[in-house]
Amino acid sequence: MSKNKKILTGLILGAAALMIMMFSSMPSAGSKEITISDIVDNRDQYKGDYIMTQGLLNKDSVQWDADKIELEFSIYDENDVTLPVFHKGIKPDNFSDDVIVIVEGFVNEEGVFEAEKVQTKCPSKYEGEDMENYDVETHQELLND
Amino acid sequence: MYVIGNTALYLGILISIYSLFANILGIRKKNNRWLESARGGVLSLVLLSSAASFLLLYILGTSQFQYKYVAAYTSENLPMVYKLTAFWAGNAGSLLLWLLLLCLYAGFLVFSKEKKNPMMPYASSILLLNILFFFLVILMSANPFEMSETIPSDGKGLNPMLQHPGMILHPVTLYLGYVGLAVPFAFAIAALMLKRVDAEWIKLTRRWTLVAWLFLTLGNIIGGWWAYLELGWGGYWAWDPVENASFLPWLTVSAFLHSVMIQERKGMLKTWNISLVILSYVLTLFGTFLVRSGILTSVHAFGNGNLGTYFLIFMAFMALLSIYVVMTRYQLIRKETNPIESYFSKESSFLLNNLILVAGAFAVFWGSMYPLISEVITGTKVNVGPPYFNKVMAPIMLGLIVLMAICPLIAWQKATVEKFLKNLIWPLTAGIVTAIVLIAVGVKGIFPIIGLASAVFMFATHIKEFVSGIKARMKATKENAAKASLRLLLKNQRRYGGYIVHIGIAVIAIGVISSTAYPKDVLQTVETGESFKIGQYELTFKGLTEHTENGNGIVAATLDVNHKGERVGEIKPEKIFYETWPEPSSEVAIKTNLTEDLYVVLSSWEDRDKVTLQAKVNPFVSWIWTGGMIMVIGTGISLIGGRTSRAYKLKPGTLKAGV
Repeated sequence: MSKNKKILTGLILGAAALMIMMFSSMPSAGSKEITISDIVDNRDQYKGDYIMTQGLLNKDSVQWDADKIELEFSIYDENDVTLPVFHKGIKPDNFSDDVIVIVEGFVNEEGVFEAEKVQTKCPSKYEGEDMENYDVETHQELLND
Repeated sequence: MYVIGNTALYLGILISIYSLFANILGIRKKNNRWLESARGGVLSLVLLSSAASFLLLYILGTSQFQYKYVAAYTSENLPMVYKLTAFWAGNAGSLLLWLLLLCLYAGFLVFSKEKKNPMMPYASSILLLNILFFFLVILMSANPFEMSETIPSDGKGLNPMLQHPGMILHPVTLYLGYVGLAVPFAFAIAALMLKRVDAEWIKLTRRWTLVAWLFLTLGNIIGGWWAYLELGWGGYWAWDPVENASFLPWLTVSAFLHSVMIQERKGMLKTWNISLVILSYVLTLFGTFLVRSGILTSVHAFGNGNLGTYFLIFMAFMALLSIYVVMTRYQLIRKETNPIESYFSKESSFLLNNLILVAGAFAVFWGSMYPLISEVITGTKVNVGPPYFNKVMAPIMLGLIVLMAICPLIAWQKATVEKFLKNLIWPLTAGIVTAIVLIAVGVKGIFPIIGLASAVFMFATHIKEFVSGIKARMKATKENAAKASLRLLLKNQRRYGGYIVHIGIAVIAIGVISSTAYPKDVLQTVETGESFKIGQYELTFKGLTEHTENGNGIVAATLDVNHKGERVGEIKPEKIFYETWPEPSSEVAIKTNLTEDLYVVLSSWEDRDKVTLQAKVNPFVSWIWTGGMIMVIGTGISLIGGRTSRAYKLKPGTLKAGV
């Protein structure tokens, strides 16, 4: 075996070790991306899973308690299935009507989504289109992507 | 106007096709006149793309809202600088910018002093393929000169978050980096096509690669700086797919910059270098594909399905072309590649650094693509967030830092262990002392301490290299210390420029490790007169005020800041209500000193006397920006000087070390 090959073998072994490390840390670090309908229908199945989901914000449902710094709202998907969300934290920017909200967290016993992270995504975020021109349908198409 | 813009784009397609054929004919028939004509073609492409760009600037600057692009990204009362920089606010304009840079680079190349180089027509053809692709994409799916049927009275305005100096610079620098990588790629393929497997293409493109890398570095750091100041979540890097996309080529080019030194000096690692440059180039297209296609759930939504597909097709085409060329020349490359002579040598240590960098790139790639991979395999999309990246990248980065601490001390070819250990003593001691001091002052956490100590170790190694170089020179030339250090730097720009870049990385590492491991975060609702504490700061809320500035309404909370019991002034986090934008945006208030940033965001308010604030203390964040500056200076130094050929012409083994 030439030196080149020996060096290479050693390095490949190192790389393999690294891979194993990567794979092993994967499930614990990940969040499953699931639709709202799926969460509501199969609540028990996702118990204890760290989930990411997205939906359109129902603006009337937003309840903000400044003293406790608690945020409650609900989001819905294209099937009009609604998911109540609870978040111990602040309101994100762009928290307005029909904005797409991305939440990460767990579903609790009562079926409320306890979000650890709340982000807003607006299709126009960097695209500059007027929000008022957006009807729900366009958003729903985006949701279905 | 409309006609001029579109004509320029259509002509661009025709001329790039023509020049491509002129090159091919010229190569086939060995006819210089065809090649000359292709050069003329490239020149006219430079003119056409410049004309289109000036036109876009003009219609943006004069607010001609009949153009959809102008109406979508600007408004009447937007400051002029942002009207103009809205050039790259959207898809269409940013693609035109890319095209312009590509044409300019191609123009510089074909009229450079290497224009008679036999590789040039090949390289120029590869670049022309790129240019053609961009002309086509712009015309087919993102035309900045598209008009609307009715003329709106005012535009929709520029997203407030993009109205920031960081966003003037970030896209341009990143594109300069992305586009720059097309040049070494083109030459690598050209060299292979001509079956020239020596290091000539590397020497010819060394500056291009370095410039591209410099801009990638700058683009990433400015992007982080913008995110930190503008997005208001208190961080500068979120491992978002889009950020990863610009980090990936940076990693592979960093590897390439090191491994080419080995090929230049020793004729080793040829296949590896070619693969790296191809990979880096393909990653730039891949990054663009990620940003534009919206296939991954990212808050950076750019969302235009078509564009992503085009990029994917082009990327696949270029990748297959490269693989084909490499495969058909593989035996030749192998035959002319020298094997590595010793385990303990600079060569092997460079190889190790390369593997770590590429492994890092793979880890980032894997994490970014994992949602798609998991969806294909298990049916459920699993997103991996910062926890994965931090967990995997921390040891990789630590490995790199340790390697940077050790490698400069290892000589080329066969290094002796005794000499190496002798050199190692002082830097290693500096690292260990740092760890002891950190533990003594009560810093917690074993991994951050190891990281910080390694960064100091690495820093000390480079200082030691400078000091011993200066000492040796003083002894040999009897110059004084200042003169000797200047001369040393000027005589070995590549080496010491590189060392300065490493020092910059050490400074950044200290910033990143401390701000990741020891941030303080408080969410607080306060009433007027009420105070709260964060770290060594005490903040007192003095009330909410309102005023207008440039037609935008501003709501500001005034806070008195006490640091260690002493009043150090006041800060005003704000929310700005832009006339043209439905949602307010947060203006973060930051108080920076050498060791930490106080970072306060006005989150919301109930009334004039009751607000919710998010306060953070981020240690050593300013070190990241400083380190970035040091990296730029170092790269600049190694760019200006360093005749590439010098080291190569000397017989191997006559030089001790160098970059």
